[in-house]
Amino acid sequence: MLEFSIMADALPSLLKGAGLTGRLAVLILLLGMTIAVPLAYARNAQSIWLHGPAKIYILVVRGVPSLLQVFIVYYGLGQLSFVRSSVLWPVLRDPFWCVIIALGLNSAAYTAEIVAGALRMVPKGLLEASQALGLSWFQTQRKVAIPLAVRAALPAYESEIILTIKATSLASTITLLDLTGAARLEVSNTFAPYEVFLTAGAIYFCITTSLSWLLRRFEERLSTDHRTGERSAKKLQPVLPALTNH
Amino acid sequence: MSAVTKLFGSFAALNGIDLSVARGEKVVVCGPSGSGKSTLIRCINHIEKHDGGSIVVDGCILDHKAANVDRVRREVGMVFQSFNLFPHMSVLANCMLAPMLVRGLKAVEAEEVAIGFLRRVRIADQATKYPSQLSGGQQQRVAIARAMCMRPKIMLLDEPTSALDPEMVKEVLDTMMELGARASVDGMTMICVAHEMGFAREVADRVIFMDEGAIVEEGAPEQFFCQPKTQRARNFLSRILH
Amino acid sequence: MTADWVSGYGLQLLWGVVTTLSVTLMALIIGTVFGISLGAVKIYGAKPFRYSAEVYTALVRGVPDLIIIYLIYFGGTVALTKLTGRYVDINGFAAGVASLAFIFAAYASDIFRGAIKQVPRGQFDAAHALGLSRRAAFLRIILPQAWRLALPGFGNLAIILIKQTSLISVIGLEELLRASSVISGATRQPFLVYSVTAILYLIMTSFASWGFRHARIWSNRGFA
Ligand SMILES: Nc1ncnc2c1ncn2[C@@H]1O[C@H](COP(=O)(O)OP(=O)(O)OP(=O)(O)O)[C@@H](O)[C@H]1O
Ligand SMILES: [Mg+2]
Repeated sequence: MLEFSIMADALPSLLKGAGLTGRLAVLILLLGMTIAVPLAYARNAQSIWLHGPAKIYILVVRGVPSLLQVFIVYYGLGQLSFVRSSVLWPVLRDPFWCVIIALGLNSAAYTAEIVAGALRMVPKGLLEASQALGLSWFQTQRKVAIPLAVRAALPAYESEIILTIKATSLASTITLLDLTGAARLEVSNTFAPYEVFLTAGAIYFCITTSLSWLLRRFEERLSTDHRTGERSAKKLQPVLPALTNH
Repeated sequence: MSAVTKLFGSFAALNGIDLSVARGEKVVVCGPSGSGKSTLIRCINHIEKHDGGSIVVDGCILDHKAANVDRVRREVGMVFQSFNLFPHMSVLANCMLAPMLVRGLKAVEAEEVAIGFLRRVRIADQATKYPSQLSGGQQQRVAIARAMCMRPKIMLLDEPTSALDPEMVKEVLDTMMELGARASVDGMTMICVAHEMGFAREVADRVIFMDEGAIVEEGAPEQFFCQPKTQRARNFLSRILH
Repeated sequence: MTADWVSGYGLQLLWGVVTTLSVTLMALIIGTVFGISLGAVKIYGAKPFRYSAEVYTALVRGVPDLIIIYLIYFGGTVALTKLTGRYVDINGFAAGVASLAFIFAAYASDIFRGAIKQVPRGQFDAAHALGLSRRAAFLRIILPQAWRLALPGFGNLAIILIKQTSLISVIGLEELLRASSVISGATRQPFLVYSVTAILYLIMTSFASWGFRHARIWSNRGFA
């Protein structure tokens, strides 16, 4: 039934597409996390001037399809004359950066919700104890709250990573040749949708399952030291920059 | 019931049980925790599958065939330690469900039957409430009424009072005694796991003492409680009576 | 210009909303039935069935929705064309509903599995002791209680489903996103049109989440 020769022929261009998919995912996650951390703090803030806008941002982004968000950035912004005359226009005309901006802003909202939830789970007593020891607010966050929150946020963030990889397939709708885009191109050349899309699906499946397996291993390694509080806290410290800075 | 065994993994919860209960007889089963009392009565209506031996209920052989299991369950009612009322249904709906689904009664008939039994356990005024709105004692009385609504020939009760606060035990015991008195009239068979001596003396025709998955001793209640024959029974009695 | 909006484009968007909601509703119903069955198979099914159900869920979780939609749409077209011997164009609505229902079912099955497992075992015992068949016990006793436990996760999935319908635009069904793309092309005002569309989606998702919140409160009545 299936013609394996078509699958084999399509493989090189699909793998090339997978490379673009990977690059997109990494950049989207980085942009998302960079925005998400301040957004999460704003969301948890006392002041309505901080948590109000943050909550509205999260609500709006999560209430609207991400494909529409991609369209707004790629097609929509060009309508605004101040965007067209700005220095950013070359970037905003490029579908590659449009996808990263749109999905990065999208991922930021979901990630902020995860981070904010994790920060709220840190026991109040620990923060008070840290401040009683004379640590500043920033030090308390850096040394106590964030290391503990990372552990709590990890499982949810893992699924955010997988969801982001899958979401990059939306890039194919604005002419990019990511894995899905490459598959569509192959289909229009070969008229063999089964073979090509199945191969593309298999590549996605390998990427997401192996990654989620690795992430789970990583998480297990963190939580095996759970019983001894000091040890796990020490272990957690090098983990955090991996998620936030880069 | 002969040579019945039940295994959980390699652990024998029942180990060669031989027991026959006559129609209309009322039996109280007692024994230390983990001795297999619950397992024994749960095998009688096939909530627990026995692994060896044979069980015959009301002339019907309990092999593991679905038709036979259904026939037995239709004639056997059960009251659980933890009530197991259906929390998403009102008291009345709890009592009407099985008569309608299993016996094929119409809603009106089922309601009539249900109200009748709820009245007998003195709880008819709570019929429209949900189980979570009732006290433990009230819930257990509803559970008894629910089982009675199927007009079972055999009634199984598994420590119906042990999950209750002490002040509610009496109301349920009273209901059970009344049930026992009725059973004598209707010829309903009763098998009850219980540790209350007063209840056993009043109601039981026979007391069975179990330990480690086997029947160690049986006899009339007076004889069992006053002159137990085995050391194990004496130890057990001294612990629950002290 | 304004007249165009009120008459033609407004109506077109509204029709898009109607299509989006119909696709959502159909996929929700089919996906729920399928998802519950799949969840039940994962708990009660014989090993090979249980295994297949797990593999199915893992596949859907690991592959982008777009790929699944393309597979069902183009793959279905090719399959039907081969079967019938002439070119058959699959109905975009049917292909959209089918693929979204398949995706929904995979995620829903895990939610229902978790909920069913949380229903105390004694409930099954009591139902059996009353003589109810396995089927009746599941449908009358276990499922209604599982629903209450599944509701938060189920609501989330339903809201995601509303947003997922936008993916169907890639196979040409004129739901809300597709309609707004057509209008942006005609009016050359994509920012305006897409913003209006975003507000329409926001209204639908907010309304759904409000509805599910109330359903949850309502379903918890009578429980501690
Ligand atoms: N589902 C099960 N899986 C494994 N072991 C079980 C299971 N049910 C019962 N057992 C074991 O079988 C033995 C008999 O249990 P059973 O519940 O019949 O005791 P019991 O006499 O009713 O005790 P109790 O007075 O505490 O209710 C116990 O040792 C128990 O650990
Ligand atoms: Mg017991």
